[in-house]
Amino acid sequence: MAEQRGTVGGPVLTEWFGTPDLHSLDVYESLGGYSALRKVVTEMTAVQVIDEVKASGLRGRGGADFPTATKWSFVPKDHPGPKYIVVNADESEPGSAKDRYLLENSPHSLIEGAAIATFAIGGHTAWVYIRGEYDVPYEMLRDAIAEAHAKGHLGDHPFGSDYALDVRLYRGHGAYICGEETALLESLEGKRAQPRSRPPFPAIKGAWGMPTAVNNVETLSTVPWILRHGGPAYAKRGTEKAKGTRIVTVSGDVQKPGNYEIEIGVTYRHIIEELAGGALPGRKIKVFWPGGSSAKVLPESMLDTSTDLDGLKALGTMGGSGGIIVMDDSHCVVKAAARLLRFYAHESCGKCTPCRVGSNWAVRTYERILANEGSEIELALLDRVQQGLQGGRCLCGLGDAAGWVIQSTMAHFRNEYEEHCLHQTCSVEKALVHA
Amino acid sequence: MTALSTHLIEEIKALPAKYPQPRSAVMPALDLAQEEIGHLTPEAMSEVAVALQLDPGYVEGVATFYTLFHLEPVGKHRFYVCTNLSCTLRGAERIVEHLKTAIGVKEAGEISKDGLFSYEEVECLGACEYAPMCRLDHRYQFDLTVEKVDALIAERRVSPASALVPTPLPSPSPKPKPTRAPRKRTLKKGG
Repeated sequence: MAEQRGTVGGPVLTEWFGTPDLHSLDVYESLGGYSALRKVVTEMTAVQVIDEVKASGLRGRGGADFPTATKWSFVPKDHPGPKYIVVNADESEPGSAKDRYLLENSPHSLIEGAAIATFAIGGHTAWVYIRGEYDVPYEMLRDAIAEAHAKGHLGDHPFGSDYALDVRLYRGHGAYICGEETALLESLEGKRAQPRSRPPFPAIKGAWGMPTAVNNVETLSTVPWILRHGGPAYAKRGTEKAKGTRIVTVSGDVQKPGNYEIEIGVTYRHIIEELAGGALPGRKIKVFWPGGSSAKVLPESMLDTSTDLDGLKALGTMGGSGGIIVMDDSHCVVKAAARLLRFYAHESCGKCTPCRVGSNWAVRTYERILANEGSEIELALLDRVQQGLQGGRCLCGLGDAAGWVIQSTMAHFRNEYEEHCLHQTCSVEKALVHA
Repeated sequence: MTALSTHLIEEIKALPAKYPQPRSAVMPALDLAQEEIGHLTPEAMSEVAVALQLDPGYVEGVATFYTLFHLEPVGKHRFYVCTNLSCTLRGAERIVEHLKTAIGVKEAGEISKDGLFSYEEVECLGACEYAPMCRLDHRYQFDLTVEKVDALIAERRVSPASALVPTPLPSPSPKPKPTRAPRKRTLKKGG
């Protein structure tokens, strides 16, 4: 495997990273791994597990930022049939690679966390839906699950208890929309991955019609630490409202791209300039996406923004899946937005009209602009399309995200759009030619 | 003569029992079929449908939704080159241009004359800290440079494994690209 780029020996999630062969059960266990699951199945009740996670303040790290314990408590306790934990390992938000980083370093953390979550909702099986392109993480998880079974940590009697637990794998086949939880469930059921209308919510009617909680890889990988150290120890980190740590992926025009474990509340300047080494030599950072390509962009002048999730919401953007994409002054914002719109149009599942039609309209408009055929008409059109994509007009967030790319880049970089549309020129490229 | 081997059909028939509901077997089954014959032909999809007792149209509907299912022949080694934003910022466009020349194809999906290579541009593969990157033969290749791409190609040209390929996949005649007629503009430019 390639050298790891990111935090090792960090506070929570990456605590043991850097230990040779951490992916093997023996090493993981020698450091204290599986002690949380042992305690849970032999000494605790489901309610106690949920209370401990509630005390930690852990919120979902897939992007929705929903309190994890609350999500688990929505799953009905008295349901007679099977209940499932479904792990969203379909990481495909542009700019986000942290789940891969976690899986390649410590697959047992996810397995242990998923098993604990399954116990907490009163189920017996966790299904990991992992994107098809993640061959190495898939193979590592597959081997790790086999090891856990062989050692008796999973199966009919984990740690000698009578509470059967299993973790199963299901491979995706290339569709960004599967990151949306109801589309993921459709896919897991062997269908085209198109989001469902809600209600019913997955907690009532999820995978195969059964009560289900869908959790992200990072969220569940945090759970064993919380059970080992106690919820309050986790809650001490982070800000008053957004507790704990998270992993951000920094990519694009920085010196040291990587996956960094940060305490929530540090600034983007700290992450981009200190952890990721700042701009490339001779360049200036122009803009960054604070939480995956779906988060509204922020200009360089807002680098001091805190990673506090509520603060980001107040700014109209989000921490999302933690993918920070940094772009410097050698790249044109209009071109970048055009590239992202091509992505959203390609990945639109086609179920609802505003997203299917709107994203493609935007792509064609950007194509005209970049072919120097733009005018005031195109500027106005982009504005209309972004409004049509947003505001709950679509079944899921994909349409909104496409709209936000257009809206936020236009809001902060209107000048670049006007250059392209009204003067058929690009000062960024001109500057490069003359440099 | 069937498209899929009897052995594989048996394997596919055993899949539904592994899932809470049998329909979930459709993607793993298509996966096996694609692995055996390289891409999903209409015959192969029908045989999967029969084996799983599903409607052939349904199976095709699933296959066409997901980008990792190929309905056209692909090269023995397919480059899935990420060209999403993080990789583009680090030079993915140049990698694609070079790759096209190096394997001698004009566009995505076209197979090289020796049947060994094809490429496609894909969306973010979740390895942004290694941009530009690609997926090739079930492994990620990181920090791509023109030299690295050349080396990846050269390794596969000489590898004994490639000599064992029974018949190189037929190069499809270049398909006419669906082009959209330029829209007539009815509004005056610059208003």
